[in-house]
Amino acid sequence: MTVTISEFFKESANWAFLAIAVPTLFAGWRTVTSNNIVRAVLYLVVSLGGTAGLFFMLGAEFVGWTVVLVYIGAVIILFLIGIMITRAPLGQEADLSHAMNVKAPAALLSTVVFGVITWAMIDAFGNNMIPPFEPTATSDLSLLLFDRFVIPFEVVSFVLLAALIGGIAIARQDEEVVS
Amino acid sequence: MDAIDYHALLPEIILAVTVLATLLVDLFTSRKSFAAITAMIGMFASFVAILTLAFCDNLTFCTSTGDRVLFGGSFVVDGYAIVLQGLFIFAGFIVVLMSVGYLETDRYYEGEFYFLIVSAVLGAAVMASSRDFISMIVALEIVSGSGFLLAGWRKGDARSNEASLKFFIIGVLALALLLFGVSLIYGLTGTQVFSEIAAASSSVEDIALFNLGAIFVLLGFGFKVSAVPFHFWTPDVYEGSPPPVTAWLSVGSKGAGFVGLLSVCYLALPSVTEIWGPVLWLVAALSMTIGNIVAIKQTNVIRLLGYSSIAQAGFMLAPFGAAAATGADLSQTFSATVTYLVIYAVMNLGAFAVVIIVGTRVGSYELERWSGLNTWAPGLALSLAAFFMSLAGIPPLAGWFAKFVMFSATIGVGSWWGYSIAIVAALNAVIALVYYLKVLKSAFFDTVPADLDVATLEAGTVPGPTSFAIGLTAAAVLVLGIFPGLAANLGDFSSDFLATLGL
Amino acid sequence: MDGLEVTASWYLILAAALFAIGVAGVVVRRNALVMFMSIELMLNSVNLTFVAVSKDLGLIEGQVASLFVMVVAAAEVTVGLAIIVAVFRKRSSANVDELAELKG
Repeated sequence: MTVTISEFFKESANWAFLAIAVPTLFAGWRTVTSNNIVRAVLYLVVSLGGTAGLFFMLGAEFVGWTVVLVYIGAVIILFLIGIMITRAPLGQEADLSHAMNVKAPAALLSTVVFGVITWAMIDAFGNNMIPPFEPTATSDLSLLLFDRFVIPFEVVSFVLLAALIGGIAIARQDEEVVS
Repeated sequence: MDAIDYHALLPEIILAVTVLATLLVDLFTSRKSFAAITAMIGMFASFVAILTLAFCDNLTFCTSTGDRVLFGGSFVVDGYAIVLQGLFIFAGFIVVLMSVGYLETDRYYEGEFYFLIVSAVLGAAVMASSRDFISMIVALEIVSGSGFLLAGWRKGDARSNEASLKFFIIGVLALALLLFGVSLIYGLTGTQVFSEIAAASSSVEDIALFNLGAIFVLLGFGFKVSAVPFHFWTPDVYEGSPPPVTAWLSVGSKGAGFVGLLSVCYLALPSVTEIWGPVLWLVAALSMTIGNIVAIKQTNVIRLLGYSSIAQAGFMLAPFGAAAATGADLSQTFSATVTYLVIYAVMNLGAFAVVIIVGTRVGSYELERWSGLNTWAPGLALSLAAFFMSLAGIPPLAGWFAKFVMFSATIGVGSWWGYSIAIVAALNAVIALVYYLKVLKSAFFDTVPADLDVATLEAGTVPGPTSFAIGLTAAAVLVLGIFPGLAANLGDFSSDFLATLGL
Repeated sequence: MDGLEVTASWYLILAAALFAIGVAGVVVRRNALVMFMSIELMLNSVNLTFVAVSKDLGLIEGQVASLFVMVVAAAEVTVGLAIIVAVFRKRSSANVDELAELKG
């Protein structure tokens, strides 16, 4: 069954989808075009926040909250700290992007990527309806996490440990160590 | 949930304990070498654990009937996993050996260095057993993440910083492409486990999206194994990284990428060989040709080895792409690729060990500074010759058997895909000979640069651990070259499990 | 609440658009931090795809996968910032194309 435009707008949930999707997309767009690095980060926050909202709409509450806590709460802060440490100017900055001549190929590449993926996705998922809204129980997720996915769960802790220890060693300021 | 087969997990458990032990030993001892010793003891123990898995009661290799399948098929210990885990641990062990001498030449962080090497070995070992996308990608990220950091280990050197940053951006981009492909494949098949994807993929109707997913996954792995045209970052990263790290990247990290590529193509995507076969065929031909042609022009030995490793990756992919493009029996070429990978790893590690010693002694990796190596270090020159001849594929060194297996598997495919790439490979084997011999000519027949003091150079000693590494790899190169059956056994053992899949 | 009329493809097209924007960002940007932010956008689109298709399939493995993607991405942020700080300390710039020590 296809959804016509008029039917689409009768449903309040569809309005909700659009209300979240449009800012998400716009913020994503501004993240890669803004000339102000701090604004680019803040647009990224909006884009990530929008996806978190979509996760709630899809019933993936735990994933949504993880995005809010891990991405918006921690990763973005890290980005801001990175900006402060590298003393990037806080105002307009002309040289965040390459010169104009890469923009056209980039836009073309991006459009092709979008076109091909969208075509294949509509081909595959065209009119599949999303099942009714029902939140996934976090306990189901954790059961899966500690049963089928226990190997990656253990391994990911080593990813984090290696990143932490190695990151400290690389970023530490020490004039006397290493020529 | 079933009881966990801890014996099957023992090598990984030992490696995980070693990772933590290395860190703790470094924290509580003042002698930096203790961390290296801990790392080596742990890797050796893990290797022994792998041997206990590899041999049945009667001291023969277990057949595929003895496979241990854990966690709903997402973690499998079979011949393939065992051979490659053994290889990664061996590579990690050799890299630690050659790092001990190198790190002492300057004030590096040592404990953290060994910690990251063992972490990377753990990741690579888990990858070899992983049979689902999530386990594999998480494990791959230990290998990549520690690789990014290790590439920048010469903190005071802008080239090392730069190598690290380039490697990082490319690596994370590859991760994003790979994951996007995985998400599409998951959406169509409803599973992450390779065997279930293979089973479900034959009935997938929306083949366009499935193919697109497969292409994204191949793109991601293309970057990880640095195959042409995704190779542009490799020489820069190899040159900028500390040389022992380059040795690890060109063997362990690249090997892990190959494991991913092999597992995904053979186990998850056998239904779309008509997509990845020709792609890999083309990538193999390009990698060999471009890698070799650019290598000829190189004046820096490390960059030369970087391009040589790109070309060698092309040789590894050749039989694999030819068989898949033809739709022929895949198990023969699988065995050939694994055999090639094992031999390549051993000889490339050996070559790096020698190159590091000479480079540190001379103070440069530029080839012109290396001329006359034979006059002041005949032993080093001889080992250099052995490893480079082996890389070129000259008998009786192991490299010839790798090339032989590759050619016979490629021609054995019996189609124009196979014949044509065999011709490309033969031409490339000749081109490769040019630059390997160029290095040896310089080392044996040219005169020492006037400003180098021969007496000082002669007085230099090879650190004990590094000479052990050179001895071990040289012995392996000779033994595998004279008794090639050993390497072939490993290859066959690793492809046994394919028979059970009907490939 | 009755069923949403939004089909799975709406979410997936949005994810494709975010992914394509991220790709453009990686090509256009030259500051390593902002390039990395574009890659984060791509990883975020991967998460959206995972969750949307898993909803479509009525499974929850996709949600677990997206959790792993997030943890791995967080680890990579740590690694990336450490590297960017190290680079900056040496040469006071985080622009990728100003790195010219290596021949390229």
